[in-house]
Amino acid sequence: MIELKGVHKSFTEPVLRGVDLQVPKGCLYGLIGPAASGKSVLIKHIVGLIRPDKGRVIIDGHDLTSMSELDLQDFRKRFGIAFQNNALFDHLTVAENIAFPLRRLYKEMTEDQIRERVADRLKAVSLQGFEDRSPPSLSGGQKRRVGVARATVASPPILLYDEPAAGLDPVTSQKIFDLLKAEQGNATVLMVSSDVDRLLTVTDRVGMMVRGRVIFDGTTDEAKTSNNPYVRQFIHGLTEGPL
Amino acid sequence: MAYNIGSSVLDISETAGGMALLLLRTSHRIARAAFDWTELKRNMYKMAVKSTPIVVITALFVGAIAVIQAAPTVQRYGAYGLIGWGAGFATLRELGPLLTALMISGRVGANNTAELATMVVTEQLDALRILAIDPLSFLIAPRIISIVATLFIATLYADALSLIGAGIASNAMLGVEWGVYLNGLTSGLLTFGDVAHGLIKSLAFGLMIAVASCYFGLAVKGGAPGVGRAVNAGVVASATGVFILDYFVSFVIG
Repeated sequence: MIELKGVHKSFTEPVLRGVDLQVPKGCLYGLIGPAASGKSVLIKHIVGLIRPDKGRVIIDGHDLTSMSELDLQDFRKRFGIAFQNNALFDHLTVAENIAFPLRRLYKEMTEDQIRERVADRLKAVSLQGFEDRSPPSLSGGQKRRVGVARATVASPPILLYDEPAAGLDPVTSQKIFDLLKAEQGNATVLMVSSDVDRLLTVTDRVGMMVRGRVIFDGTTDEAKTSNNPYVRQFIHGLTEGPL
Repeated sequence: MAYNIGSSVLDISETAGGMALLLLRTSHRIARAAFDWTELKRNMYKMAVKSTPIVVITALFVGAIAVIQAAPTVQRYGAYGLIGWGAGFATLRELGPLLTALMISGRVGANNTAELATMVVTEQLDALRILAIDPLSFLIAPRIISIVATLFIATLYADALSLIGAGIASNAMLGVEWGVYLNGLTSGLLTFGDVAHGLIKSLAFGLMIAVASCYFGLAVKGGAPGVGRAVNAGVVASATGVFILDYFVSFVIG
């Protein structure tokens, strides 16, 4: 379970203004909101890349805000994350990128086991034959799929996706969302996306952030029928409203 | 005006402090051999091996330029026997390490800053931290070791090539026989201390370029345009630092 309690964070100005959020275990949770509402900063708090100025981040009962950097490093093995910019290592091939978490975190695995697992992930994301390609030679959708393969290769219990379909065409976007749903397994998933229509086809619960606060938290059906003016305007793409 | 001066002083202090902290934290990891050997090998190849052609060309011309500049005075006073010593003294103690450092700063340092800055803005560094990998051990320590080693090795063969270039220029322009030139180099006026002087400088310059290029790469702000600014700032800081260090090292070791 992912829990944020009263999280505040400022850089040059406030970004998170008292975020309270709960993502139940095994849930596929969609986080929506206009640009610069603090969604990506929130994800970085969940994995401990950023520490809050106030408040607590609790993952499966462990308070990240009181952990040392060394303990946090070890704790981060529970997460798989696909970044908005993909964050693939340009000097490694596709196969080496996907194998990277296994080589670093599971030194007891043999090369054959790693190769087998990488082949399995490439098949799951429909990129068989791409082992020796380099990231700069891939299309946007291909990079996203490699990012998903790398995030899921170690079967982490918590998966985080930051704008998984940003910059992709509608068909590829839907394929990415379907892939993420299919790859969930028993993991707890938090997915940030501005592509509301496609996001809502895969989520169990939805939260909406506006100006650093969570102003809605409910099921997908509750979000679609909500009378909250912010939620209505954002989900239905209305030009008139408080946003 | 006072505000601008004060602001500049604060900026310089912040940069110097940041670089010192980076050096301290990375030194701790280097001392414990807590760095990635695969990254070290990759960076050594990329920096040391691939810089060889440009260092070779630069070094040959550096020696020749020194002779060209000295030629009028040598001819005026008939000091042909001293040209070997003059070229050797200038090259080993100053021109060799300094110009090689500036070449490495422009080629290796700038590339290093650009690579690290790009990794920061594309969240590759965050990806490393998520995978429980310490970026200082994995990325920075191998790069610092590689840049220092690259400059040391490059200075060694750049010195030798500069002296060869000076010999060629002496022979071609001033008609100095190779025997006379080599006698000037080896007659005892030049000592191992002159060689060591230059090599100590190369280590100091290498450390300066390594820390500055890594610092500005990691401190990038502002997305893709920020990468360009970081590279510019890194090269300027490296070059400035090299000249300042040159003065102090020369002063201290004499």
